[in-house]
Amino acid sequence: MPVLLKILLPTIAAVTLCLSCSRQQESAHREIYQELKSADKMVLATMSITKTATIDKSRELFGKRIAVYSYDTYMRACIDLSRLTEDDISFDEGSRTVRITLPPVVTELSGREMELRKEYDNIGLLRDSIDARERAELKELANASLKEEISNNPEFVTQLTEEAKRKARSYFATLLSNEGYTAEIDFRQF
Amino acid sequence: MIKLIRLVLWIAAVAALAVGVYLITRKDKDPYDVGKARISDIESMARLCTIDIYNEAPVLDTINNKVIFAIQKQRGSISFDLDSLDTSYSGDTVIVTLPREIVEIHESTDPDSWQVIDTKSLALFVKDRMSLQEENAVKSKIRSRAIRQLYENGTVARARSEAAANLRSLLEMSLRHPVRVIDPDPDGSPYR
Repeated sequence: MPVLLKILLPTIAAVTLCLSCSRQQESAHREIYQELKSADKMVLATMSITKTATIDKSRELFGKRIAVYSYDTYMRACIDLSRLTEDDISFDEGSRTVRITLPPVVTELSGREMELRKEYDNIGLLRDSIDARERAELKELANASLKEEISNNPEFVTQLTEEAKRKARSYFATLLSNEGYTAEIDFRQF
Repeated sequence: MIKLIRLVLWIAAVAALAVGVYLITRKDKDPYDVGKARISDIESMARLCTIDIYNEAPVLDTINNKVIFAIQKQRGSISFDLDSLDTSYSGDTVIVTLPREIVEIHESTDPDSWQVIDTKSLALFVKDRMSLQEENAVKSKIRSRAIRQLYENGTVARARSEAAANLRSLLEMSLRHPVRVIDPDPDGSPYR
């Protein structure tokens, strides 16, 4: 009996110590850098662009390790209202027309979805699941690829800009029609 | 005869070992493949954006006895929908009610916007690998926290104040009427 106790007691103590180490870490979220910029922009259109990426680390001897993820990136088209002055708006009382020259439409990437969507996965019994670091690496590659595609293919910017201009014309037309005016909208080039 | 069999077995064992080493150590094709971008939606809107946000924050969080430490770069904005403005008239003055703020926080598209530094397990027999669901749950908490901080540190109040001024200026220029912008909730309301 004393021999049994000599073996059991240290074992129980060791297990208890290990289990008590399973404590909650405090979650922390303090900025290391923050920038808040005042803006005076009118956002006229946003575009969601989906990117899909695959990670395939299968090995013949050990089994498959494949996963496919997707996420959205957002691009927006805006005009800088701080560049709109009274000189850009002229009223013609005779024809009840208002001519407005709006600042140029500018497009910019406004961010990407934080969460990834899993489209497919196939992880063999002997393989580990895809971890957070691998997903982060994959997202970085997809991000760089997307930026290259946007800069090489003007279609993205063109479609978004056209939609933004359509919306600007529609918005100001509605705003001014309530006052009995017809709006003629133009955009500056620079 | 026995020597011959032994020799054959040795050759077979060495060959098997060589094949095994080759399969384990050979350079595989690139494991990452990225598909072409696809436009999934274009939405038109008229939103007045008064604050652009950029944040770089360390993230330390625990879920299901797993800890993740990462650094995230965030981009966001505070804006106001102008499409359905509540407008009325008092004589010559146009009275407009400032709508509810739209607070958006996304991951930045700058390089390394989600850098996972480490994951670890706090419990015995639990792997330190975080599943996608767990990681997404952490990110959802990060976003909620970031938005809550914008209300707590007065950024939303500042955005609303600037929106009232900018909207008044835009409408006075466009309508040639005096404009008064009423803000029913100067600090903003985070709960929907």
